[in-house]
Amino acid sequence: MDTNTNFKHKMAAHCETGTLVGLLGNAGLEITEPMAFGIAHGIFFGYFESKNFPFPTFIVRTRPGEVREKLAKSLKIDINRLKFKNQEKGMQKLDDLLADGRCVGAQVDFFYMDYLPEWIRVHNNVHFVNIVGKDGDDYIISDSYHHQIAKLSASLLKKARWAGGYMAPKGFLYYPEKIITKPDLKKPIIKGIKKASWNMLNIPIPFVGVKGIYKFADKINTWPKLTRDTEHLSHEIMKINILLEDQGTGGAGFRYMYATFLKQAAAIVNNPTLDEMSERIMKIGDDWRNISYFAAKMGKNRDLGSDKIKELSELIRKQGDAEKAYFTDLKKVY
Amino acid sequence: MTQKSSAEIAKEVTQLIIEKLNITHVTPEQVNIETPLFSKDNELELDSIDAIEIVVALQQSYGVRINDELPTREILNSIQSIVDFLVKEGATEKVM
Repeated sequence: MDTNTNFKHKMAAHCETGTLVGLLGNAGLEITEPMAFGIAHGIFFGYFESKNFPFPTFIVRTRPGEVREKLAKSLKIDINRLKFKNQEKGMQKLDDLLADGRCVGAQVDFFYMDYLPEWIRVHNNVHFVNIVGKDGDDYIISDSYHHQIAKLSASLLKKARWAGGYMAPKGFLYYPEKIITKPDLKKPIIKGIKKASWNMLNIPIPFVGVKGIYKFADKINTWPKLTRDTEHLSHEIMKINILLEDQGTGGAGFRYMYATFLKQAAAIVNNPTLDEMSERIMKIGDDWRNISYFAAKMGKNRDLGSDKIKELSELIRKQGDAEKAYFTDLKKVY
Repeated sequence: MTQKSSAEIAKEVTQLIIEKLNITHVTPEQVNIETPLFSKDNELELDSIDAIEIVVALQQSYGVRINDELPTREILNSIQSIVDFLVKEGATEKVM
């Protein structure tokens, strides 16, 4: 099958950053996934209780699309973004772009990516893939969660691009228009580190950044009252593991990915302190992984007594303390 | 010390998973090391919650860290891919 400009497919930890670095690489700007994540200050924490969510939830990164937008701004990359109400026009525009030799990023519902095994496909409207060619009625897809380039039928791609519901893709397409192939990464790295520290420490909202971790630690004690029964509570507790480890986070809620960013950044800006900070966030990541493990075991064994919930709460609170100290020190580096 | 063969490491890893997850319905010999670990076809009958237990067990037993350098899902694809990862990391001997 033919792909545009011999697109180099690669697996990645996370779909948004994986798709982005794939698109940029194809256009001539080689950047690693952790570097894109770090420059775009993707590391984050937020605990949310809202009528929009069936149950309280938390995030460990900035909202979907933010890494793309912040990286583009920081590296002065011109990215075209298109949304379509009309499906026919949206498919035609995609065909025109592919015929023009472009590779195009797309937001899709993960469920319709039928080249992936059935057991991992769930409805998730914020999956990103690169569309890198067309072969008859099939589109050629580079999906960073799949080990090789795959084909997807036009009918499934259409369903995936115009799936309804929360954060509906609305046919969203994006592609780089103008890039600098060898940008100086020093200033963007420093800016990204400063902004990440500020986001984690200083956003004046009581449920985001480090304050969000403390909020999570407090509020998890109320979860038994919010659940219908033991099965429901065990499901919600096990979701902690899924949100930290199982959703393309690179492990430990993106903390490992941020550690890799700092390691790579240390060499570029020639600052060994960043190597030390990389080691520290790696260890914080290990503790998040332990929480993930602890929660998975609790949920699986239905070991959900108030003493166990309290123990989990304390582990999370300690993470709040660790990240508060960590980002305070990281902020002092620049 | 003689170097372990890939088959020996595979058997050891399979045994480790069986022990850590308290799986009683299969023996290591009955597990196909090429079958995707989390597929319905795998004899171990794992779910995604088991993944974190496997990751932690591998980290503790072989002294490796599984992070974003190589996507976890790629490493955990099958017993064979775990073996490939351990060999690549030079971590084929148990540390505990």
